[in-house]
Amino acid sequence: MKIRARRRLALVLRTGAAVALTLAFLFPIYWLFMISFKTPDEIFAYPPKWWPGQINFANYAVLFKDGDATTVWNSLVIAGVSTLVSMFLGSLAAYSLARFRTGGEHLANWIISQRMVPPIAIVFPIFLLYVWLGWVDTYVGLILLYSAFNLPYVIWMMRGFILDIPPALEEAALVDGYTRWQVLWKVVFPMCRAGLFATAIFTFVFAWNEFLFALVLTRTEVATYTVQVTHYFGGQSNFWAKISAMSVLGTLPVFVVVAFMQRYLVRGISLGAVKG
Amino acid sequence: MSQRPGALAGSDGAAVAPPTRRGVRTRGFRLALVAPAIFVLLLVGVFPLVYLIVVSFQNITMTDVDTGFQGLLNYRLLATDGRLWEALLHTLIFIAIALPVELIFGLAMAQLFIERIPGRAVFVALLVLPVLVSPIVAGANWSLMFDNRFGPINQIIGWLAGQETALLWTIRPTLVYPAILVAEIWQWTPFMFLLLLAALSGVDRSQLEAAAIDGASWWRTFRKIVLPAIWPVIAVAVLIRGLDLFRLFDIVWALTRGGPGTMTETISIFTYVKGFQQFETSYTAAVALLIIVLLSAAVFWALKRVELAR
Amino acid sequence: MFQAQSRRSAGEALRRTLVAALTVSSLAWATAASAQSAAQRAVDAAKKSCAGKTITIVWEAGLQSLDPLNFSGPKWEQLTGCKVKVVEVPTAEMFTKIMQEYRAGTGAYDALNVVPAWMPDLVQAGALENLDPYVDKNGFRAELQKIAPTYRDNQMMVNGKIYGFPDDGDVFLFYYRKDIFARPDLQKAFKAKYNYDLAPPKTWKQFDEIGSFLTETLKSEGIYGASFFREPPYAMLMFQERFRVEGGRFFDPQSMKATVNSPVGVRVLTEMRNENRFMPPGVEKFGFVENLAVFLDGKSAMTISWPPYGRFAAGYLSEEKALSWVPKSKIAGKVGYALPPGGHPELALGFALSVASSSKQKDLAYLFIQWLNSEEISSQRVQLPYALRDPFRDSHYTNKDYMAKWPDAKDYLAALGQAAQTGLLDLSLIQTDKYDEALRQGISKLWAGGDPKAILDDVAKQWDDTTQRVGVDKQKAVYSAWAAKSGAYPKK
Repeated sequence: MKIRARRRLALVLRTGAAVALTLAFLFPIYWLFMISFKTPDEIFAYPPKWWPGQINFANYAVLFKDGDATTVWNSLVIAGVSTLVSMFLGSLAAYSLARFRTGGEHLANWIISQRMVPPIAIVFPIFLLYVWLGWVDTYVGLILLYSAFNLPYVIWMMRGFILDIPPALEEAALVDGYTRWQVLWKVVFPMCRAGLFATAIFTFVFAWNEFLFALVLTRTEVATYTVQVTHYFGGQSNFWAKISAMSVLGTLPVFVVVAFMQRYLVRGISLGAVKG
Repeated sequence: MSQRPGALAGSDGAAVAPPTRRGVRTRGFRLALVAPAIFVLLLVGVFPLVYLIVVSFQNITMTDVDTGFQGLLNYRLLATDGRLWEALLHTLIFIAIALPVELIFGLAMAQLFIERIPGRAVFVALLVLPVLVSPIVAGANWSLMFDNRFGPINQIIGWLAGQETALLWTIRPTLVYPAILVAEIWQWTPFMFLLLLAALSGVDRSQLEAAAIDGASWWRTFRKIVLPAIWPVIAVAVLIRGLDLFRLFDIVWALTRGGPGTMTETISIFTYVKGFQQFETSYTAAVALLIIVLLSAAVFWALKRVELAR
Repeated sequence: MFQAQSRRSAGEALRRTLVAALTVSSLAWATAASAQSAAQRAVDAAKKSCAGKTITIVWEAGLQSLDPLNFSGPKWEQLTGCKVKVVEVPTAEMFTKIMQEYRAGTGAYDALNVVPAWMPDLVQAGALENLDPYVDKNGFRAELQKIAPTYRDNQMMVNGKIYGFPDDGDVFLFYYRKDIFARPDLQKAFKAKYNYDLAPPKTWKQFDEIGSFLTETLKSEGIYGASFFREPPYAMLMFQERFRVEGGRFFDPQSMKATVNSPVGVRVLTEMRNENRFMPPGVEKFGFVENLAVFLDGKSAMTISWPPYGRFAAGYLSEEKALSWVPKSKIAGKVGYALPPGGHPELALGFALSVASSSKQKDLAYLFIQWLNSEEISSQRVQLPYALRDPFRDSHYTNKDYMAKWPDAKDYLAALGQAAQTGLLDLSLIQTDKYDEALRQGISKLWAGGDPKAILDDVAKQWDDTTQRVGVDKQKAVYSAWAAKSGAYPKK
């Protein structure tokens, strides 16, 4: 009886903590999103206004009408495809590194060293490379670039998650007659679903938030959301409402995906049955 | 515990298949798995690196495209550039504070959410949001929130303190670091949180339950069962986050532009100003190479330590 | 005999008169024809060689680019068949993108918008095309002459050669609440205290006195005597103006040593810091929009800013969608316009139209910018409801349509016209940004509580270091050329 009461108290406390935490983390988001409903006077009101005078979607309508909203779509496509590419290539490579230590220390270290290069320093040579390849201002160019940028992250991250899984299941499957490829697809990847998902989210986020290369490598054909947003910060103007509305549009799709798929993040109890 | 360098051992010593046994039979398979990734990395990574090395020995500036061999000119300049080393110091300070805080905070949050609580799905999804806001916008938003006149932060502090506060978060030397750190930690703790949540979910429940039945304290359970299980993920998360913190730019730029003076100038801001705005192409190349060397040394040293500690 | 002679001389006189009349009228017709057709000539020339080609122009992203996107681009295409592709670039990255494309030799940009202060660097690097041959070929010199003196003489040429057409009358104008200044109670109290009439300040000393007086008296109403955009990038430009107005010089022309840390400089910085005391708390962080919000809300009695403030304050076309980010003006009709204290406003930033040297369609690019910059078209462009382009031609300041836009518009244009005679040019040398950066950082240190003398000494040292790196002789030549311009230092 006492244990159950204690458990219930613990649950209440934990829920309370969860709520408090979420509120704290979400407050800046709330502030940002509210701006999309505020008039300029409300944005720069003194004392600050916590609630907009009225909720209307005029600012969103403008973004769609002017075509700014399509940059969100562009970014979704670019980040999405590059995530798929780097997750696919990266996870395969991660398995090789995890189970077979392919290339040993040197390969793994070389891979992660790619993430040590300061982006600003290589923007111009990559620009030159792309000019030569004819990839400036193209979707392919950015997708490939982001895939390359995220590969080290995916490889190292997934290697960690794969190492987490005892290889007993794989060996059992091999004994059962599975080919190595089948082992990968039917055993390994399903088991590290949580890791795959968590890694994929941030691979997407890194590609999504990337600004510098999107700025330099595009002119007019490819407009990403991050670059578009900076157009609203002018020396003699500041389209705060648009910045905010764009941010809402920008975060919404990913948020929805995460919301629907978050159950993959936390593996169920069933996996406890798998013990080496 | 595997002591072989380079590979992060799994939770039990047999996680890694010794190559000698299956070496030949799996060779094609192994290589086929890594080849495409390596190809992509080479495609995008080789030329810039070569370019950097070549250019760092030249003297290309905004006004001069001097491609003659200049020897160690840029490297000598580098060594005596106080601003560069200060920027490195500032960056290290940011990493030294933000990284542990994000890790511990993220781990605590993951622990909180790993057990069932009502509406967990909603919480987890909502807590991802900070990471999804473009850092540029996040920085601008925090700048507005920290604003003395138009932002709620001072207002809230005023309520708590009982008197009106007019803290200039982005101007006063004592406040700029806290302001930047708050914004940065806010944005990236969810990163640690989610990764660690995924890692925690892989901890063997039966072991946990056995420990609970045995009456082990929380801390003991954590140290002996949980930590070793999630160690590979923690290590990589810290590595990745650390490397990204090294490139800290947008939040600082939006809040203080590296100011007051150059007080909060990170190495990224320094490189941006020198390379992007002032077009000291050769000098920036030398700086970039220095960064790569320093980072590589630091990371590989850290990795070795991690191995030995296991 | 006599009659025949007089008939002949009458005939002579008639003939001579006729010839004279014909000559004069044909001259007048030709002048009229050539005066109003620089735009037309550009159109005609372009029509011949366009045939569906596209020229690319770099423009500041945001409000500015609505001009080529919604007005001038489509109109040009309609008139000539040439398409215009607008590459919008955020202000902060414009210079970088232009240089990078140039360095990579892509030829992706045909025409450019450049900030005049960048022109020495861009010309040195070879990124801009010399426009003199094109100007002569297309007979544009006459119309170039009609650009207001300060812009024409200061923002068009580098080393005596034309590299850009000044296209934006950016200048720091002084705005004040004439209703507050007209209040009898305030006038009396002020006169009693300071012994001169309450009026827009002619000197910075007067500004300090008026500002602190107004804040003291009006604090209960929530109104401050003044507010500025004190954020370093903007405050840096204000410092450049004020320093020179008070008699300061940036460099010693012989030795090229920085003299920005002279007693004048220290005094200016100290005064700037002290003034913050009677401005809204947190003014150190005010940018363009924050300051605008405070001013339009009626909370500050004086401010200095670019021309758009005047239009926004008057509530001019505030229903325009593109201007929806502008706070509602509570002070329409209450704003007076004047020159800042000292009478020499800063021609802060601004834009000039140029042609990229690596463009593959230089002629077409040139024709487009000639058309944009012409009397006829530029008049329309500065009057666009969403325009950020400010009047910059003599004819703009006396444009009847413009003057009718709001009740005080003619005073506004008159003030701008005056400013266009006495403006001060932004410092522009080789590696201008390094000098500017030192100043910007100095100002951020000032707001953080640093000592003005120490700060300026450090700025001077950084300036000297940069001059050394660029090459003293090289920089000296560029500085002399800059200092020789009419807008470099106020005339004694």
